[in-house]
Amino acid sequence: MGSLKPVGPESNEQQGSGFFATRADFLINWSRKNSLWPMPLGLSCCGIELMGLLGPKFDLARFGAEAARFTPRQCDLLIVAGTLTWKMAQAARTIYDQMPDPKWVVAMGVCSSSGGMYDSYSVVQGIDSIMPVDVYVPGCPPRPDAVIDAVLKLQKKIEREDPLGRLIGPATAPRPEEGTGKLVFQPNQGLPKGAWDKHAHDPKSRMPLSDPLPRKTEVKP
Amino acid sequence: MSDANATAASTDAAPRFVAALGALPHCISQSPDGPVIEVDVANLHAVLAALRDRAGFEMCSFVTCIDHYPAEPRFALHHQLLSLAHNDRVRVRCVLPGESAPTCTDLWPGANYMERECFDMFGVRFEGHPDLRRLLMPDGYDHYPLRKEFPHHGIEPDRLYREWDRARRASWTEDAQ
Repeated sequence: MGSLKPVGPESNEQQGSGFFATRADFLINWSRKNSLWPMPLGLSCCGIELMGLLGPKFDLARFGAEAARFTPRQCDLLIVAGTLTWKMAQAARTIYDQMPDPKWVVAMGVCSSSGGMYDSYSVVQGIDSIMPVDVYVPGCPPRPDAVIDAVLKLQKKIEREDPLGRLIGPATAPRPEEGTGKLVFQPNQGLPKGAWDKHAHDPKSRMPLSDPLPRKTEVKP
Repeated sequence: MSDANATAASTDAAPRFVAALGALPHCISQSPDGPVIEVDVANLHAVLAALRDRAGFEMCSFVTCIDHYPAEPRFALHHQLLSLAHNDRVRVRCVLPGESAPTCTDLWPGANYMERECFDMFGVRFEGHPDLRRLLMPDGYDHYPLRKEFPHHGIEPDRLYREWDRARRASWTEDAQ
């Protein structure tokens, strides 16, 4: 990972007029992840939690993502908060298409993640059937803390992206063919999974205890 | 509404609408919700007009339909009427022989959306309705979701979206060429 520290000869004359050297992809990812512009697509009760998240109490501005714009042309983070019906799906997909690249999607709440309790003919059973999703947030509705966690996870994900791959050629994976309905730009495709891809509550990713806690039956008086 | 109010309202209302209906063929019964007037579809509009004009039911609370599938005839139309001046209610029940019914939007303009919803969910055609379109489901949807034979997960719920998506992608390739 790159860093933002001054380089050059360690002399006192040049300390004030120094310059930075870093990797371009690190710098681009660093600036992208710290200035996410969310597009709030509040479709039901999750939208109320989203308002609380953007307000002063939970204050998404601490993570640089407070500038919610209500036009998709100025946004790069689509937060689908609530129940997406098939009638609304065309509008949601149009909003996603109107957002400029690079863009990310957070499925907030179980309704947008999987349809939730609306196991129905009118509800999209998971918005990943109409658009790619980066982070799923469980909860009905999720607390604003959970969405903050999603934004932090998304920032970790943006850190691992390859922003120059589209300009200088394929870096990790061949580009899918255009016009086939596949996604043209999948920034994390083919990347090895890191520690952030493991769920914190996954027992396989848990650290083994060197000294296991004794069972109740083994406790001696 | 408590039970005492319900019985009081029904006893008050009965003589009023019995006098208002006059010679129109009808059948009055009592339900836990109040009196129910059963009429056939030919007299439905005349009964509703008489109730509005001569019995003072100036408000139509709701218009809805019940599907009694597999019984035939399967659809029963319910009009719930409210008299604000007399504080009582009456329900008009009409078993439809087919899938069409007379509209009551000329009597109560507020019944417009309720009849549209009824058409949307059950497929009941209201003759004379000024704007009989779907209300909740998208235009172009082929089925009526609240009918009994409609499956729980719907019939191709994503069809309209997929058609729209295909047409959109096809227009992109035309633009590129």
